[in-house]
Amino acid sequence: MNRPLPNYFLADLPPDAVLVPRMVVEACQSLRRNRQQFLATKTTSSIVQLLADLAELWRQPDYPFRQRALREGPAETGFSAATLEAGLDGFFRNLTVENLHTLIQQDLGSLQRLDGFSQSHSEIQERRSAWARGPELIAHVAAGNLPNPALTSLTLGLLTRSAQFMKCARGGTLIPRLFAHSLYEAEPKLAACLEIAHWPGGSESLEEALFSEATLITATGSDETLETLRHRIPKGARLMSHGHRVSFGYITSEALNGLGWKRLVQKAAADVAAWDQQGCLSPHVLYVEPRGAIRPEQFAELLATELQRREEQLPRGGLSVEESAAITSRRAFYEVRAAHSPETRIWCSPQSTAWTVVYETDPLFQPSCLNRFIHVKAVKDPSEALRYAESARGKVSTVGLGVPPEQAASLAQQFARWGVTRLCSLGQMQNPPLTWRHDGRPALGDLVEWTDWEQS
Amino acid sequence: MQHPGSFTDYAERLYAFMEASVLVDGATPASTTRPSPSFEELATQLFSLQIAHNPSYATFCRGRLKGGQVPETWRQIPAMPTAGFKELELSCLPTAQRTHVFHSSGTTQDRPSRHFHSTESLQIYERSLLAWSQPHLAPDSRARATEPRPLILNLTPTAEAVPQSSLVHMLKVLAWHFAPESEHFLGQVDPQGGWSLNVESFLTPVQRNASPTRPVWVLGTAFNFVHLLDNLEALRTRVDLPPGSRVMETGGYKGRSRRLEKEALHTWISEKLGVSRDHILCEYGMSELSSQAYDSVIPCPGTKAASSSRRFRFPPWARALILSPETGLEVGDGEIGLIRIVDLANAFSVMAVQTEDLGRRRGDGFELLGRAEQAEPRGCSLQSTELAQSSQSPGSPPQADHPNSNLR
Repeated sequence: MNRPLPNYFLADLPPDAVLVPRMVVEACQSLRRNRQQFLATKTTSSIVQLLADLAELWRQPDYPFRQRALREGPAETGFSAATLEAGLDGFFRNLTVENLHTLIQQDLGSLQRLDGFSQSHSEIQERRSAWARGPELIAHVAAGNLPNPALTSLTLGLLTRSAQFMKCARGGTLIPRLFAHSLYEAEPKLAACLEIAHWPGGSESLEEALFSEATLITATGSDETLETLRHRIPKGARLMSHGHRVSFGYITSEALNGLGWKRLVQKAAADVAAWDQQGCLSPHVLYVEPRGAIRPEQFAELLATELQRREEQLPRGGLSVEESAAITSRRAFYEVRAAHSPETRIWCSPQSTAWTVVYETDPLFQPSCLNRFIHVKAVKDPSEALRYAESARGKVSTVGLGVPPEQAASLAQQFARWGVTRLCSLGQMQNPPLTWRHDGRPALGDLVEWTDWEQS
Repeated sequence: MQHPGSFTDYAERLYAFMEASVLVDGATPASTTRPSPSFEELATQLFSLQIAHNPSYATFCRGRLKGGQVPETWRQIPAMPTAGFKELELSCLPTAQRTHVFHSSGTTQDRPSRHFHSTESLQIYERSLLAWSQPHLAPDSRARATEPRPLILNLTPTAEAVPQSSLVHMLKVLAWHFAPESEHFLGQVDPQGGWSLNVESFLTPVQRNASPTRPVWVLGTAFNFVHLLDNLEALRTRVDLPPGSRVMETGGYKGRSRRLEKEALHTWISEKLGVSRDHILCEYGMSELSSQAYDSVIPCPGTKAASSSRRFRFPPWARALILSPETGLEVGDGEIGLIRIVDLANAFSVMAVQTEDLGRRRGDGFELLGRAEQAEPRGCSLQSTELAQSSQSPGSPPQADHPNSNLR
């Protein structure tokens, strides 16, 4: 499997191949034709089965596409093979018939919704039915090198029977491309409704060509990037955008009494290490209450030990000089503080920037420079944490909770009222289920257009 | 450890080292009756003095040097990160002796760096400045003592207007030394604290004073030059400075939005002022230091032929190390890392300063790449700069903005 992949997608072209707008337009036109011929007539159950079978294959250690992803992935994506393996397994483990059914049921109210007119329970009584139709052609502007959001987008687009053109970011092409090739091997006609491409940011003529063909454009990026994009969407096309987000963890005193603390430290470390903290679901800060048997400062120290242990099994990927320099300079800042005040402490990986834990009594929310650089902050209660996280309000995706079950409900309510869109257990921050409502929006539900039929 | 002696004794030994090490007019080291100590000996003495008199630095070193170990070479002397100059009072000077303080400028809301000086420390600063600027700014002036003194036009405000700018202090000292009767500071401080420049204030002295034989030196930050050239452009005019005229550009845009690549700026300067590119000198310095680096484009006696790439070199009493940010070890030639400077002239502060600037190691010098900008996000997580506006507070680490060379 060392030979080059066959030329099925634009991303398969040699790196020096130059794309021109006409190629993008022609690719979109053939995607639409192929969709009409092969995909539009598929049933939900056949697509669900195909996706689940494919996921099963991806989980086999000897599956050639998986092997290739783990072999070539570190150089392209910047993640270590172990990190990629853990992250991809997490994704494909979730991609089952049962979970896909749950997602369709949740977002669309009936399993047959995408096949034609169907009725939910309440609609039967009302003598109504409805059909959820996917966009004809989705253009995905995928951000960054995290493969899971891109794979999720492709999966949802297949469910809605949409032709899809995915423009990947630098370092983010390999895995969507391998996924598309694995689909090609399983069902070439469906893969002919997909296009994977990469071009350097700012290639406006290529993007214009793509947007002029698309029915729906999905994009992830900074507020600034999305604002610029919004003005470039042609009339008649729809933009579905996801801004950058931050996440944090919250651990109560009660959770740190008794024997549970060790598991909590492991879970916190798992969240920091997953995808080298690059995702919007990765924590920047862990807020820890001070009245437990393990104090926040001790928690930070235990977390440092755990991150070192994890580094040995699940090494962080290599960094650019700029990224390393960002960590080194941040460390220097906190080192100066730590030398002069007991209110700051810092633990660093030896002879590398692999991980960093900064403990502070100052509860102000502090965005991390990422790549496994975590702030542990002592905080009296959730109200105090939220007060000090005000600068991030409206931009918080996930809060990972380390709390005993009896405390969970009231905490969840408090965070939800403040505007957090996802709460989960610590350790699961980077493992959202397929049914996750992305930044508070139904991921599948937002793609479709409905036709209501009132029969009475 | 040997008794470190006094700062006065140290300064005398440092001066002997300076005299012995700067080559004048391409000749052998200046003759001196005093035996010159080595860099290593001076570094060891100064480290002991600073540990004894600079309590904040001593505390920092206790954290760095586990078990009370002593650095074996100057390379092992703990370097204070530039952030430390914002957080701490890093000075060997008792409060009563502090006659001057230089602040870093910059436009971020965070606290500025502070470098305290006394009469004695400014004297060391000036000795260092003049000894190393002479061969770079005026390499042939000693050979031709009859040459007219240059007309010096500084594009910054006066030292009186910005007493805390080490850059302006530096320009003032240079002007006193090289052309005491004809220094001009052309900049103004606007109500927002920014520096501005009236183009007439530049054109008038050039037109009135310049004679075909009297060279003009124009000195300022990169942004000062952009401002000047923009104004000349607007007037659709250019000037042709007399032969031998020079430009010294100190880098730095003070957070301004308009930035130009160095190459483009130099081409433009050359076009608009009539100064050939090999007479444009770049300087790299920081308010936290007392010595400056110059690039070696102007052929300078005592050094090898000018190289084509711009390579900065500090004087022999200040050394730059280029360290891998990943491992903290020195990088190989041609590789990129963070710049650390050990400046023996930084007597009353901290001699070893860890900057946040990236440089490429080139022989005995370095190519300046500037402040490590926040890398492009790889994932979908919000970058700290996207929240920077709202989360800046005394509790936050500084945000990456512009090279330290501006921060003066």
